Amino acid sequence: MQDINLTDLFVSLTGRLGLNYEFLATGYEAQIWRDGFITTLYLIALLIPVSLVAGLLFAACLTSGRVWLSTPVRAFVEITRNTPTLVQLMFSFLVLNTFVSDLVGGAQNNPLSPFFWVVAVVGLHIAALHAEAIRAGIEAVPASTVEAARGVGFSQLQILQYVQVPLAFRASLPAIVNNLINLVKLTTVGNAIAVSEITYASIMVWTQRDNVVSMMIVILAFFSLINLVVARIGLWVERRLAVPGYGL
Amino acid sequence: MNISADNAIVRLEDVHLSFGQTEVLKGIDLTVNRGDAVSIIGPSGSGKSTILRCINALVQPQSGRITVNRTRVDQLTRESERIALRKRVGIVFQQYNLFPHLTVLDNIVLAPTRILGTDRREAEKLARELLEKVRLAEKANAYPGQLSGGQQQRVAIARALAMKPELVLFDEVTSALDPETVGEVLWVIRDLIRDGMTSILVTHEMRFAEEISDTVVFTENGRIIDQGSPEQIFHSADNPRVRQFVSGLSGRGPVRDGEGI
Repeated sequence: MQDINLTDLFVSLTGRLGLNYEFLATGYEAQIWRDGFITTLYLIALLIPVSLVAGLLFAACLTSGRVWLSTPVRAFVEITRNTPTLVQLMFSFLVLNTFVSDLVGGAQNNPLSPFFWVVAVVGLHIAALHAEAIRAGIEAVPASTVEAARGVGFSQLQILQYVQVPLAFRASLPAIVNNLINLVKLTTVGNAIAVSEITYASIMVWTQRDNVVSMMIVILAFFSLINLVVARIGLWVERRLAVPGYGL
Repeated sequence: MNISADNAIVRLEDVHLSFGQTEVLKGIDLTVNRGDAVSIIGPSGSGKSTILRCINALVQPQSGRITVNRTRVDQLTRESERIALRKRVGIVFQQYNLFPHLTVLDNIVLAPTRILGTDRREAEKLARELLEKVRLAEKANAYPGQLSGGQQQRVAIARALAMKPELVLFDEVTSALDPETVGEVLWVIRDLIRDGMTSILVTHEMRFAEEISDTVVFTENGRIIDQGSPEQIFHSADNPRVRQFVSGLSGRGPVRDGEGI
């Protein structure tokens, strides 16, 4: 078969460079590894919208001027920003998840998977960072522009929707793209609670094959490529949203 | 003055307002009749702009009665009620304050479609008519940042008119403009007033105020110290302070400063 031959060719060529990709010729390990890629991509595809939506909601709460909305979000943002994501994940999985399990009468009834906890913890962590960036953007919208919107007859929510957020989003886009690049890298914390994303899968392979360097090269190239794409898309959006004659 | 009670569209009675310790309005009484143009003149910091902001509930006075076409503005407690009022009272600001991320057309269309629920096509048709009126039809797809100050201000006027307001408040709308573009904005306002739009203008353009106003109001230190026809205020004022103010300006052409209270 053509496919097998190509794999064999790749394995033997890289072998001559001193790299070890022999596991690719096996069914089981190659499958785990491929699934690792897919899981990581799946995590990223979910986390980007989750973090953006939650970040927007947080920013709306922070700038609402209502204490009962802004105080809990402010507390959450501070705790999230100032503590390690890995610790948050372990706390969520080992404490909160156990609590949920007890609540529903045993782990077998608990619908929350480790995958869920990675999305929740990383998503909300990055959302906290987005929220700060968007809040800064919202506060940078001139008071006179907001007053004009009020004068026309917009409600607070409409002003946020049609004036403040569109302007704030443009101002905070570079920071948001930075956060997203961070998000991509942060998906690797999943390996701490056995979510078989790419680092977890690679560790599975290299503990058997002792080919750390070979696996590392792929992991680094993979994340570099994804973040190159994220940064490119960010730049594209920035250019698309650029307003002629406007500083942002 | 000849004010018939049932023709009044705006009435302020003994309006007092402070920002913290600063007393800005110290008992303002003012009546504006439907279809009239009223200019508020006076030195900077005398509370002129604050009077306008009271009328469309952007600020709340501590005491006094404000009536806009049977709505007791001073008694509005909920934001939704204030919004209902602002839909009926247009306001144009010194710094234009257009939405910088929207085209000229979208700036004008946004409020009617989102607040009044006007159909987009209908709102656009009206917007284009208004742009025609302010002589900017060819700029519909430009962004505010691509326009001169005078052009932006004319768009801001069109944006206010798109809500089909019962009256329009003009807050020093030419103060931020260079002398050459002042004229184009005043043209537009003059047209509006001739068409019968009730207008209250805070202005430093004395000649313009004299030309277009039915009533001129002179404020100083949070009080109205004189009001009357343009002829009275500009040429035969009894009040020595008013005489001093207008004579100090005579022969100097339009006077501008960066006042924004």
